[in-house]
Amino acid sequence: MSASAAKPSGGALRASLFFATMGLAFVIVALPILAILLFAIFPKLNELSFTGAFGNLAPHLKDPRLVQAVVNSVSLGVAVCAVSTLLAVTAAILRTNTGRRGAVWDVTFLVPFLIPPFTGSFAWIQLGQRNGFLEQIVGFNLAPVLYSFFGIVLVMALNLFPIIYFTTSSALQIVGQRYDEVARVFGGSAPRRLFRILLPLVGTAIVSSNLLVFIMTVEEFGTAEILGRRVGIDFVVTYIHEKLSDWPIDLPGASVLSLILIVIALGAYTLHLQLTRRTATAVDEVQARAGQPQRSPLRTALCHLALGTLAFIAVALPLLSILISALMQRMSGGLVWSNLNFGAFVELFTTHEEALSAIGTSLHLATITAVVTVAIGVLAAFFIVRWQSVLSGPLDFLLTLPNAIPAMTVAVGLILVWNQAFWPWTPYNTWWVMLLAYTCIMLPYPVRMITSTLRQLPMSMQDAAMVYGASDLGVIWRVNGPALLGVSVASGLIVFSIASRELVTSLLLTPPGFETVSTFVFHQFDQGSVRTAMAMSLVSVVISGSFIALGNALAGLRFVKG
Amino acid sequence: MIRKLAISAFALMAASAASADDLTVYSAGPKPLSAALVEAFTAKTGITVNLFQSNSGKVMARYEAEKANPQADVLISASWGHAITLSDAGELMAYTSPNSETVPGSLKTDDYVAQGAAAIAMVYNTTLDMPAPAEWSDLTDPAYKDLVTMPDPTASGAALSLVQGLATKDAEGTWKLLGDLADNGMIVPGANAAALNPVLSGARGVVFGAVDYIAIGQKAKGEAIEVVYPESGTVLAPRPIMIPATTDQADEAKKFVDFVLSDEGQALVADRMILPARTDVEAKRPGWDALPLIEFDYAKAAAEAAETQAAFKAAVE
Repeated sequence: MSASAAKPSGGALRASLFFATMGLAFVIVALPILAILLFAIFPKLNELSFTGAFGNLAPHLKDPRLVQAVVNSVSLGVAVCAVSTLLAVTAAILRTNTGRRGAVWDVTFLVPFLIPPFTGSFAWIQLGQRNGFLEQIVGFNLAPVLYSFFGIVLVMALNLFPIIYFTTSSALQIVGQRYDEVARVFGGSAPRRLFRILLPLVGTAIVSSNLLVFIMTVEEFGTAEILGRRVGIDFVVTYIHEKLSDWPIDLPGASVLSLILIVIALGAYTLHLQLTRRTATAVDEVQARAGQPQRSPLRTALCHLALGTLAFIAVALPLLSILISALMQRMSGGLVWSNLNFGAFVELFTTHEEALSAIGTSLHLATITAVVTVAIGVLAAFFIVRWQSVLSGPLDFLLTLPNAIPAMTVAVGLILVWNQAFWPWTPYNTWWVMLLAYTCIMLPYPVRMITSTLRQLPMSMQDAAMVYGASDLGVIWRVNGPALLGVSVASGLIVFSIASRELVTSLLLTPPGFETVSTFVFHQFDQGSVRTAMAMSLVSVVISGSFIALGNALAGLRFVKG
Repeated sequence: MIRKLAISAFALMAASAASADDLTVYSAGPKPLSAALVEAFTAKTGITVNLFQSNSGKVMARYEAEKANPQADVLISASWGHAITLSDAGELMAYTSPNSETVPGSLKTDDYVAQGAAAIAMVYNTTLDMPAPAEWSDLTDPAYKDLVTMPDPTASGAALSLVQGLATKDAEGTWKLLGDLADNGMIVPGANAAALNPVLSGARGVVFGAVDYIAIGQKAKGEAIEVVYPESGTVLAPRPIMIPATTDQADEAKKFVDFVLSDEGQALVADRMILPARTDVEAKRPGWDALPLIEFDYAKAAAEAAETQAAFKAAVE
């Protein structure tokens, strides 16, 4: 473990940081989750009544459909983790062979996050179904693969593998290549070096990001709904949404099912802790700037080619499908030139005046959410990894939980907490409730990514700083900060991407007259204007994508200067 | 950024201060309709409206979750079943709008009334090499093998109404029909859009039980589809408008209901290709006299909805 040598407690500053972090975690995450737990126990909590306690638990837990759904959800989670890890770790290792130019892939692999799962799955269907785009262009379709359990796994893995990729990639940067070099000099074969040196060194990062992927898979709704229903496979999350939105609406039932997802997450979290303990390694020096090894141009080119192929499948194909759908004047008109035009894009900026303001709202919310979550994430990471206390474990788990609970249940939790007459002022029905909701759902990303990097950072520098009298803020800001900058920016960008297209909580919580990109897209879909919906999705991907490229470039600049 | 934050902070203060006197309307789609109704209502009465726009399920979920401190003054859903449930629970305010006189008896009660209705139809893609269907039962023909889609009655109130209507007329025959359709390769991919999109893009040929106004709108935009109402009869999916008993804006809420049922409001409904609830307002689509309707008891059907959904599941498996 990376726990530091015993040292005296940090005094007033650390205490106030501790209370601030705990307070924020409590208000943002614990309160809505607590409301859901209570709602599962007291089915009339929405009327602020505590009658009929526990009456709702037994009937649900005996439901045979639920048992099957749990089995399906867990198998899906495991399968998506396996496929994503394979893709991501391969990509991350290939990436180390590409040097500075490889940064283009880092930006490219962020794009899958920008595509809402709902739109992404729809794009795959348009592409792969019978008479779909693929069949019209190259003469075959993917329907048998797409409409199967494996198809759902593939679509989700292609969407989620970047999480493992980014964590592994930044871990590889910290670990550097010196150990690998040493092994090579002493005659270690390539596979042996991979399995004995490289993978063990980044094991924590892989395990930790796998937890996120597993939990996200179990919770993610868009793909499970679109493809799962079509295949006829029930998942816990689709069952929950059925209870939340299909007649008769059963909010307490949905809370009970959410408890089951929390239990699944708890199981995954415990397993992850065990694995982390087994895989934890620490290097004694940041080695990011270790001497550049000689690379053969051929090898570099091959690595670029492999990464390019992955990018083509995970990024270009869905985007292309979205683009074609947006260009098609009539869905029934087929892929012929006369049926393609930019009408939908033009309409977006002429007849749909609310489209532009929706983009503005989404960007604004996503930026603030990214800043807030990363700030809380860095503080939380220190209390989880470095300044450990009895509350470190619970805090870590609490900040992972929002990922395990379907976003719509979180939204119900927020309504239960904040729509009460007894609050003198409430964020409900205002802009702030959206920020609360987004922050709650997105917090797990920075927390997971930053803690796993912090675990790997050498203790020596921090200890040295402490010996020379650095304050806690100084340790965060001057010592570990620069080393954490990369992962903070990366996690901030991930939060930004996901927040810029968040749909489910927005649909339930939007204050009157408030529209985000995703709710706009959803309403267009709902009215059958597929091309407008697709055009808007694409515009939003491009705008958020350029913000990310910009952010990345700025961060890179600072890296070079610093 | 700071300026924008300050502005939003300001806006939210203003919003929370205003919401106490404004009328709050929760409405299911289509969005252009609710937006147009609200705008015209405000222009006419000067009453400001807070509109929350989502789909029927989320409108009802938000209403349920807010029970400790209710916010909505008017609810508009796309599912008649929602109104029946709320009415049975005694959660609606009794109100009969003077404008509802020409609304057919089956579409109004003491505490809720239809804003308009969709009819359930067969929608088929005309570009495929496939005969044009005329009757529900045609789709069991081998010519439609693997070409039929149907919205799921658990996700679509409209599809549920169709199954209820057909089953009221001939239960045995309906379950057999659905079983034969399943044997003929019919898929049940989700809610209404999930069933219609594969037909629009040509992956499938016919929707069994589509919400007609969406398809009529698509056809008007040039999509190669046709909408058919079988002679043997179809059903309506009325869109209820209701006032929760907890409202503190009862007068304004009643005015809003009156407006939706006025000539002007009903014309806006008709503009969206929805069948206006009032029989004396002209529809811009097949109207009241052009639709062969199956009469059935909505309230009784709603009480048996769970059984119907289970029977449907058994029939198509």
